[in-house]
Parts: sequence; structure tokens; C-alpha cells
Amino acid sequence: MTQDTTNVPNRAEAPGLAIRAAGGLHRMGQGRFLANRKTRLALVILVPILALTAFAPLLPLQGPLETNLGAMMQPPSLEHPFGTDRMGRDILARTLAGVQISLLVGLSVAVLAMVAGIVLGTLAGFFGGFVDRAVMSIVDIFLAFPSLLLAIGLVAVMGTGVIPVIMAIALADVPRFIRLQRSLVLSLRSRAFIDAARTVDAPQAWLMRRHIVPNTVAPMLVAASIAAANAILVEASLSFLGLGIMPPVPSLGNIIRDGQTYLEQAWWISTLPGLVILAIAISFHFLSDGVREALDPRSRQ
Amino acid sequence: MTFQTDIDAPLLDVRALRTEFGTDSGTVTAVDGVSFAVHAGERVAIVGESGSGKSAMAMSILRLLAYPGRVTGGAVLLNGRDLSALSERQLSAVRGRLVGTVFQDPMSSLDPVMRISKQMIPPIMRALGLSREVARAEAILWLDKVGIPDAEKRLDAFPFEMSGGMRQRVMIAMALSCRPRLLIADEPTTALDVTIQAQIVEVMKKLTAETGTAMMFITHDLGLVARFADKVAVMYAGRIVEFGPVREIFRTPSHPYTQSLLSTIPSAKALRHQRLAQIPGMPPDMKTPPQGCAFRERCAAAIPRCAQQPPELSPRGAGHVAACWQPEGLTGIVRPECEARVRPGSNRALRDRTMVEINRLTKHFSSPRLLSRKPVPVVKAVNGVTLRVQQGETLGIVGESGCGKSTVARLLLGLEKPTSGEIFTDGLAQMVFQDPSASFNPKMRISAIIEEPLVVKRWGDRAARAARVRHLIAQVGLEEAHLNRYPSQLSGGQRQRVAVARALALDPSVMVADEPTSALDVSVRAQIINLLVDLKEDLGIAFVFISHDLLTVRYIADRIAVMYLGEVVEYGPADEVFDRPAHPYTKALIETVPLPDPVTEATRAPKLLQGELPSPLNLPKGCAFASRCPIVTDRCRAEKPVLRHPMKTREAACHYPHAI
Repeated sequence: MTQDTTNVPNRAEAPGLAIRAAGGLHRMGQGRFLANRKTRLALVILVPILALTAFAPLLPLQGPLETNLGAMMQPPSLEHPFGTDRMGRDILARTLAGVQISLLVGLSVAVLAMVAGIVLGTLAGFFGGFVDRAVMSIVDIFLAFPSLLLAIGLVAVMGTGVIPVIMAIALADVPRFIRLQRSLVLSLRSRAFIDAARTVDAPQAWLMRRHIVPNTVAPMLVAASIAAANAILVEASLSFLGLGIMPPVPSLGNIIRDGQTYLEQAWWISTLPGLVILAIAISFHFLSDGVREALDPRSRQ
Repeated sequence: MTFQTDIDAPLLDVRALRTEFGTDSGTVTAVDGVSFAVHAGERVAIVGESGSGKSAMAMSILRLLAYPGRVTGGAVLLNGRDLSALSERQLSAVRGRLVGTVFQDPMSSLDPVMRISKQMIPPIMRALGLSREVARAEAILWLDKVGIPDAEKRLDAFPFEMSGGMRQRVMIAMALSCRPRLLIADEPTTALDVTIQAQIVEVMKKLTAETGTAMMFITHDLGLVARFADKVAVMYAGRIVEFGPVREIFRTPSHPYTQSLLSTIPSAKALRHQRLAQIPGMPPDMKTPPQGCAFRERCAAAIPRCAQQPPELSPRGAGHVAACWQPEGLTGIVRPECEARVRPGSNRALRDRTMVEINRLTKHFSSPRLLSRKPVPVVKAVNGVTLRVQQGETLGIVGESGCGKSTVARLLLGLEKPTSGEIFTDGLAQMVFQDPSASFNPKMRISAIIEEPLVVKRWGDRAARAARVRHLIAQVGLEEAHLNRYPSQLSGGQRQRVAVARALALDPSVMVADEPTSALDVSVRAQIINLLVDLKEDLGIAFVFISHDLLTVRYIADRIAVMYLGEVVEYGPADEVFDRPAHPYTKALIETVPLPDPVTEATRAPKLLQGELPSPLNLPKGCAFASRCPIVTDRCRAEKPVLRHPMKTREAACHYPHAI
């Protein structure tokens, strides 16, 4: 899909319908992005979570690692809004610390995978031939594995902790980004404005930097926001399986894992952090819809 | 309001039809109170530019408008029955059965995963109450009538197995096979080649006359109107501005818009040293419809009254109405611009320097398959082309799509590597592309677009480049304010001006224009052609003008090369080639062009080319044109004619250049 519009005669003859379509990110403008209902819903969920996470140290909560054996497995109360776990740790404080890690993982994965995808996908799509075959065979091998399984394998090799988790998930996501970027580049490569630049012998680096990449950023951003949501879930899954972030460092995944044994006695330990993950994942999906609709007016109802 | 003097009730009576499109940024009134009537057996052409509301109007008649369009007023009477009062169910009985439709794009009007028979037979069974076997025979009959060879076999083909022209024939057969009383055709031939277009038009004309089907024909091509229509409705900004019998409209047009449109077409006998008349400005934005007459701002005959009150249709002759306060439009008020400004004669002194030399150029495309041992199919797109362009000269290249004319352009610009042969250019060659919407990076401002060649070639410093860009934008007739915009914020004509500015940035010695006006509206086309001609004369650059629009090529070109299946079949001075073609293909091409003059068209019985372009995958051994040539002999099939000089100034590749 392209964002530019065509005023070629003989198309749908609704004057002005075409004119409103945007030229790109710069004119995505806050107006249209924020006016989107899904975007606003996403922000209504995300902004409070982000604010709480950022200001967690200022809240009247005990530290996420602090234990209080006098108040174990307390149900939600004013003092402990999310309750406490079997060691008397405050679940809200731990959840907020976990959210911090989740967001770090989600955003890092999205940025890393997108940048790597743009670079490799552009090279493969633009040059074709040997480069394309080499890159795409590796991509195909990666894509033959389910990405969670791949991430589990990579973590097993690289070890646990935040950095290995980010690297593993990003590596598992990159092939998808390469594929998307390559297909975008292939459709752009034959466009007349590339030909126009080639008639003045513009160097290939110029063509890629000035003409190709700017026109692929929008769809890549959409993919990146979905990848961020996915990465948050994969990190939680890895930690839940005991492969990601290791206790006592809190992560949404290992908090839920801690709580699952006590689900019948203390439902809040797993359930409340679980709902937080759900909220974050959904809002990232809404955000990606918002980005897509803001960039491509034709997809709107 | 009635335009008919006769008393018999019209077949289709459209009254004050109004259609709106609700968009985010306001309501667009696409059809603004349109009234007209179509009588049984009549062919009515609806003429207008894109955005004039002609398609929206046609869709409104059958309530086929897509969201967000909706009919907000008026009535549509078919045989006296108000269609707007019908339920969706009743209406679908009307569609197809009483009213057939043929749309512009033959590629998307047929379901790609259904055989033709499956799409064609059930409607016939329903409409005529026939059994499957009889309906099948009927379908074969109609496919045969529209000129589909081997109809019985083709009926079970899938749409992708057919060319665009064939599919459009199928669409016409489908529409007519249910014996509708009215056929609505929306630009049915626009997507097709001139030769195929002429065939399709002939088929429709013949068959509607045979069955007595009335026809509403939407087009922007005035030549087709002259060839085809009994009556013409001219639409502008959602209204009918003139309606009348075709001869009246062409002989004594009385709305300034109709008058201007007719004068912008380069006529067959156009004097080459005269500038084309052009309509200034652009059609209005329908989101903010202007007060008073919508054409006022582009009209030389506008008077204060036009700004206050939109003129209603008023009689100008028998059955001829126009919506203008001036009784005769522009006539007697302004002299046509073309008389006032004479195009300067070409500077012949410049002509002795050869700017482009192409020798025995070939380009073969093949896609070797990794896992196949079959011989690789080779498309011979360009097959031994030799051409010269002198300084200050314009070479026109004409031919059907697939003849290799665009590939020659791409080779000339170095966008493709030739398979063999040589290309020499003296200086830089630059190009103006066909589709003004695809030829710019949508993420770049106009200033950056025009500056790009300068930046790439490290021309001057920032300030010098900015000054150069300002000079260029003025040279193509745009304002500096346009520099800050994005391509999507400009109209098609403005974008094509920007394309010319970009091509001029590095002072090229050769400019290649590949169908530069085919995506533009009729009223803007003349502006761009005049701009190109002016620049050519002012700057003395050599021009290669590629087009399938023969009238325009004749007007703009000094020499013409006619291409067929990758070869030049005729090459010589423009006037000579047009007046006395030496190759049967050239002659056929010229004959297929509809002329914007109904009187001439009525007397013309064009000998149309039969069949379609053979596949460039397996070219015949002898003359490539043999399969469609009216004067073909056994010698043509066996022996390939080479380009030679049957006349002093001209080359033609035919064994019998004097036979036609």
C-alpha cells in the first residue's frame, strides 16, 4: 500500500477524496493520530501505567525486593493495592518494576528488529541477486521455527537476564521485518521517482537513503508496535518458564509464575499482574492500528 | 425542465439528481442537480473531466454508489417508474435486465476465479427465462457477435486467459445478452489501445443499433463522442452545462467550457505554427463550490452576473440547451487565443547537430528459471531500432502498447542496458514521466524534488541551487509558494509542470517525454503541450515525444517513427507520414483515430485493424504485421521486409509501400 494519492483522471470521481490523503509521517500530525479513537483508548490505558511506573519510587509502597514476613499472602488492601506474595513482598511494587522491564524489552526489541530489518531488507530488496538470495535463505530458515521456540533456544544459548532476553527476542523477530521491508522495497524500486533519480546517476546509497527508506518507515512503524506488544508477551512467557528474567528481580512473567501455585488461596498474585500485561499488549495493538490509520487514510471507515 | 420537443415519453428521465460524498473535511457535491432524458434507441454521450461528476452521476442512476457517496435528491425515471422508490431487491431486477452496465476497467469487472460461462449464463437464464442449454447457446452467440474468436471454447475460459480488449468485449456481451433497454458504459475504452478502442466502439455502435438499445456513454474523449453519439451532455463541476444533438454541439457550441474544450484539441488539420488554445486554471474544488457559475474563474466571457447567480440551462436551438448568461458564450467576445499568439517557427539553423543517434538497438527480456530445463522465453521488446534526433527537433514515437516505444525511451535514458546496438547522446538526456502521481517521492517537498538532480551532481552551493530552483519553477509557470508543498497537494497538471522543471534542472540537451499528457485532464493537456513546445523553442533542446495520441504527436513532432512489435515500420517527416502513409499499419492507425468532428466521422468508414497485437514471445518469421495486414501476401509471411526508402524523405518496412 502506498500513502500517496493519485489524481489520475478516470479513477473514482469524487473530487477532494484523494487530496486529503497524507504524504507521510511529518504530516501525520498529532491532530489525526490523536483524533483516532483507538489511539485515545490506548493512551488512556498506557499513560497511567507509565506514570505509575515512572514514579514508583515516590509511591508509599515497600520496595519491590523488600520482604515482610509479617504480612504474607495479604489480599489487596489500601496498604497493598495488589496484595502481597508468600514472602510478604508488595505485588504492586513488583508489578511496576516488572512493567519497567517489560517496556524496556518491548521497545528495545522493536527498535533493534526494525533497524536491522530496514538495513537487511533494503539491501536484499534493492540489490536482488546474490545478496537477496543469501539474506532470504537465512530468513527462511529462521521463519521455519515458531518465534517463541526460537527465542527459548536462543536464551538457552545466551543465558538469562535482560540483555540476552532482548537479543533473543529481537533476533527471532528480525526475519519478519526483513521480509516486510524487502517487499516494500521491491514495490518501490520500480517506481518512476526512482527512475527519475537514476537518470541523473544518483548513487545507490542516495536512492536508498532519500527515496526508499523514507517511504518504508510508516508500515515498518506499524509492524514495530505490534512487535513491541509481542516482545512483552514473549518476555513474560520466557520468565514464566524460568528462562527469562531470574528471580528475585521481578518481571511480570516470574511474578505470575510465583503466584500460580497459590492460585486457589491467593488469586491476586497472578491475576492482577496478568491483567496488567493484557492491558499493555492490547494498548500496543491499538497504537499500531492508530499509527496505520493515521498514515493511511484509505483504511479508515 | 424538459429538453425534448417531442411528446413520446423518454426511456430514462433523470430529474434534478443530486449526489453527495461525505468526507472528513466536508461534503462534496459531486452531482448538483442534473436533469436530462434518454429516448429509446438513442446514444447519449456524457462528456466531462475527472471530478466533473459524470461517473458519480451514472452510478447514482442505478444506486451503485460506494460509501461515502449517497443520492440526496432528485428522481430517476426508467420507463416512467421511479427507481429511487424501489427496494434494493426490485432494483437488482432492473440492473442487468433493463439496464446493462460496462465499466472502465476490464481487468477488475470480471471475477478472476470464475469461468466466463459461470458469470454469463445465469444472468441470461434469469433475465430471459431460458434453460441452461439455451442460455449457453445465447451466450456463445453474443460472444461471437462482439468479435471473440472461437466463442464456444472461450466461453469456458477464465478472465486471466484473455487480454484487456477481449475482456471488455466479454463485458459488452454480458451486458447486451440480457437484452437491456439501456446500456450504461462508463469510459469503456479508456484503458484500451487505440486500435482495440476503435473495434470496441464499432461493436457497441453496431449492436445497440441492431437491438434498439439506448445508450449512455461516459467519456472524456471528444473524438469518440463525434464518432458515436446522437446527443451530448457536457458536465462541469457536477452540472450539465450544455446538452444537445452532437452536430449542434460541435458546430455551434454555446457554453464557454464546451467551446474551450473543442478548441484545445489539436485538430487533424491544425496549423503547426499556432499555439493550442488552452483553458487557464483548474476545475473548482467541489468541497467549496463557487458562488454563481462554476466556470466563471476560467471564463473569458464572465460578467458580474456570473458571480451572483448560477445560470440555468436555456434553449439555444432545436433541442440544444446551455447554461450561460452569454447567448453565444465566448463567440464574439473573445478571439480564440490561438489566433492571437503564433508559435514561432523552428530555428532550422540548429538542426545540423545530431543530438541522439540510435543504431540497430535491441533489447530482449528473459527470465531464466532456476529449476527448469525448458528453453527460456525471450521477449523481444526492441528489435533493431535505428533513429536520429537533431538539435531542436522533435521526434514523435507512436504505436500500440507493447510496441516497445517506452523501452526505447528507457534505453535512451540508460535505465535499461541494451542487449545490442549503440546509443549516442550529445549531452544529458532527461525524462518527463507518464504518471504525474507516481513520478515523485511523496515524502519530498517540491523544492527538494526539483533540487535533487543539482544536489546529486554537486551543482553550485546551497544558495545557488535555491536560486536555480526558483528560476525553474517560474520557467514552468508555477509560483514559489508551490515549492513548499508536497506532490499530493498539487493537481495533475501542476505536478507535470514540476516534472518538467526537474527534467530541466541540469540543462539537458535531450528531453524524453513518455505519454506526458495521457494522465491529464483534457483542459489541462493543452497547457502542458504548449509549455513543452515553448521550452523546446526557447532552449533549443531535442525532444522525443512518445504517445499513442496521434493528433497530439502530429501537432508537436517534426519527424515520426511508427513502431510495431519492437521495430520501426515507418519513419519520416510528420506531415508526410500522416498525409501519405507508406506502411499499412501507419495508415490503419491514422484511420482508427476518431476525429472531433461528427460530420467527418459520419462520412468516414474506417477500415479497422482486425485482431490484436501478436505476442512478442514468438514473433513470426516474416513481416510482424502480416497477421493483421489488409494487403498481406505470401511473400510477407515468408520474407521480412527491411526499412528502406520508398520515398525520398521517408523509410518504411513494407514490401508494397505504394500499394495503399
